Amino acid sequence: MPSSLNNDYPSSPDEALVGWAQKGDTEAFEELVHRHRDKIYARAMMMMRNEDEALDLSQEAWVKAWQRLHQFQGDSSFATWMTRIVINLCLDQIRRQKKMRAESIEQIEEEAGGVERQMPVEHVNPIEGLEKEELRKRIDEAMGKLTEAHRTVLVLHEFQGMEYKEIARKVGISIGTVMSRLFYARRRMASLLQGLKRERKT
Amino acid sequence: MDEKKSLELMALLDGAEELGRREAVEAWLKSEPDAAALRDELTWVSQALRSHEPVAKVPETREFYWSQIQRRIQAEAAQAAPAKPTRRLSDWLSWLVPIAGVAAVTMLFTVHPWQPGSRTSGLNEASATTYTSETDGVTIHWID
Repeated sequence: MPSSLNNDYPSSPDEALVGWAQKGDTEAFEELVHRHRDKIYARAMMMMRNEDEALDLSQEAWVKAWQRLHQFQGDSSFATWMTRIVINLCLDQIRRQKKMRAESIEQIEEEAGGVERQMPVEHVNPIEGLEKEELRKRIDEAMGKLTEAHRTVLVLHEFQGMEYKEIARKVGISIGTVMSRLFYARRRMASLLQGLKRERKT
Repeated sequence: MDEKKSLELMALLDGAEELGRREAVEAWLKSEPDAAALRDELTWVSQALRSHEPVAKVPETREFYWSQIQRRIQAEAAQAAPAKPTRRLSDWLSWLVPIAGVAAVTMLFTVHPWQPGSRTSGLNEASATTYTSETDGVTIHWID
């Protein structure tokens, strides 16, 4: 696998690195991996909530990226393209594990009658005045308490920026189910964040 | 709380105008204090998530993480490689037919050499002489 000895990889923009990597330069590709590996791993971790699976899928995403690099046209940023690859791999993995089916009493309740209707609206914003890092930690903790089906829809919409229609197509559910899951996930997040605030106070 | 209007409210907040009746939702927001509180809740949750995505660091060194990826790339390339030289039956036949032809002609000339002006079979005119040496323990068959 060739490399361009004269290229200054660390100070080169993603576009240049992608161009070199498309010509077979593995050192340029390694720099891209180094630059974006935490983000790709974090996205996989958010979806799977399992370190080993996230690590494996993030590496698989880089392998797929190398193989499909010639398809990258630069319509979106390289990071966005990469997160799409890892998200697709995570969704495939979830499908394989059949985790998208009703997996807990909580989800069964939601699909049966809509628990979200019974949850009181949080009138006070529990995240006001929190340090950025503290808020990140609390959001991560709360995300871990959602069911996989709700977390998936939330991640795809809030972090991946997908529209309802796109989520429905990717996950294989109706737009109505996307809306219902997203609504419940947000309401549950509000409730969990409020609960975490109370826990910290006591 | 009205479930249908709640979902429509969320759709409108997310910019999915086609999924929510704006006028009906706005009237609902004005008439119900809980509806306005729900709008605020949905808004701050969404904003908090978008601006504070949890971060995670790969729990491996740069070199080790990359070496694993590189190994997987090479393994997949090696798996894909043997598929390429596989020839189709027609490719093999295109070589096999002329080779078989040449072999058949060669055999014909070896077993039954062509002699100009003679159309008789050599086998009909064949004669054999046998020489045996008792002292040497050897027997030689001579075929014309």
